[in-house]
Amino acid sequence: MQKSEMYVGWSTKEDVRKRGGSGGLVTSMLAAALEKKLVDAVVVLKKINEFEAVPIITSDVNEVLNSAGSLHSVPSNFAKLIANRNLKVALPAKGCDVRGIIEQGKRNAINLDNTFIVGLNCGGSMHPVVTREMLEVMYKLKPEDVHGEEIEKGKLIFETKDGKEHAITIDELEEKGYGRRESCRYCTIKVPNNSDIACGNWGVTGDLVGKATFVEINSEKGAKLLQNAIDAGYVQVQKPDEKGIAMRAKIKGVMEDLGKKWKGKVFVPIDNGRLEYFRKELEHCIDCGACKAVCPTCSCGDVSKCTEYHFRGDAYKMSMYHLVRFLHLADACIGCGQCSDVCPVDIPLTRLYRRFANPVQEQLKYEPGMDMRKPPYFEVKLNE
Amino acid sequence: MSAEAAAAPAAAKTGGWEPKIVAFCCNWCSYGGADSAGMGRFQQPASTRIIRVMCSGRIDPLHVFNAFLEGADAVLVTGCHIGDCHYVNGNDKTKIKYKYLENVARELGIEKERLQLNWISASEGEKFANFIRDVTAQIKKLGPSPLKPEGVA
Repeated sequence: MQKSEMYVGWSTKEDVRKRGGSGGLVTSMLAAALEKKLVDAVVVLKKINEFEAVPIITSDVNEVLNSAGSLHSVPSNFAKLIANRNLKVALPAKGCDVRGIIEQGKRNAINLDNTFIVGLNCGGSMHPVVTREMLEVMYKLKPEDVHGEEIEKGKLIFETKDGKEHAITIDELEEKGYGRRESCRYCTIKVPNNSDIACGNWGVTGDLVGKATFVEINSEKGAKLLQNAIDAGYVQVQKPDEKGIAMRAKIKGVMEDLGKKWKGKVFVPIDNGRLEYFRKELEHCIDCGACKAVCPTCSCGDVSKCTEYHFRGDAYKMSMYHLVRFLHLADACIGCGQCSDVCPVDIPLTRLYRRFANPVQEQLKYEPGMDMRKPPYFEVKLNE
Repeated sequence: MSAEAAAAPAAAKTGGWEPKIVAFCCNWCSYGGADSAGMGRFQQPASTRIIRVMCSGRIDPLHVFNAFLEGADAVLVTGCHIGDCHYVNGNDKTKIKYKYLENVARELGIEKERLQLNWISASEGEKFANFIRDVTAQIKKLGPSPLKPEGVA
């Protein structure tokens, strides 16, 4: 097995295969890595209900196997969780998690050689509070009755406990302001080729649909991870057919184009009154600092420039905290949307940060988290 | 907007209002340039407050933001010409920092006249004086900075 090879695989454990999102390959791969001592710990989401889950670092194989199944309405980011812990760890990661982990790696908070990143194809995740509201308003369902969810062919399908399926197209939901989180709509990283191994259900054909996962190996670590799982008897793989590979590329292209379209829609240039716009958006800020605490690319710790030079008593027209954050995120923002999710006064922070990040990252041709390039801010000379 | 801030552009038209300009000068070149401007008796408006730093590479974007938030109408970042830095490549790093700073300031809605970068050597007294004169004229036309706190002239 080596880089850029593709496979279709599934778990050999019946139970995991049934519960897992598409064949339970990722769960089994993580469990195998833990059991064969390839890693010391695995990060998984411990499910509370359909809308809540806590990320945990575990060394218990059963706990990993129990976590099988996908959750679309728990927008977590694992990068900060494993930072500064010096763990030998394997973890599943969406595109934005991978980018966060790589950025933390650049800032010496994560040792990337010891981190096995299992990338997951991601078309977007949903905010749990918004999802509950959407279920009541759009689907006319009680959130408590929902048993499972699935995204298929542009439709968001909820399954209730009585076995019925309720489907509405994502376009329709997003028109009404529900559906995916805003940052997911304009995200263009749908297949995480920056991870060690990219997994997802796109490209699975025939009678394997829904029962297998399509994997693409992106690095030696990824090959090691998959080979280990096969040797341990947790996973079975076969070569994908041409049709599947083409289908995967097509879905990827369609999703990325959709992301670009959304980008144009969200970031309409403001000609006049930009300062007023930013001041208005930030006027409810209560200085809790949650946006910095969750930011997967920030590795400053508690004592940092943005907090240390900011005093409410200064009564500046704009808080120094936000100005420093705007500057720092100009080349670091990966657009994961964590800051908007945690903001207690619902400031659309990701949208604000991206306004600064988009032009800078375009000018410097630098995409944070996509390669190991040093952030241009720390270069000695400007490459023009 | 406060009464003072609203009144200021009107005062600017009548010529009564003097802008407050903060100029960061590096010790080896542009501060010397400011010195030789004085020695050469080149006339320049008394609108600048010069802050001497050892190298323009020391100027953190934070300093510039702070100047604006404290009431500066314009901030000038000046240093040695590229290649002449006393510390070999300090001003190359200034260039990088300024690129970020410029983009953030632009996106924030701060006019481009309010934040300027210029390389001035120790012998270019006239250039320094002209630069200050030009910037003062531009800012007089623009009026006070939108980031100026209330109650600061």
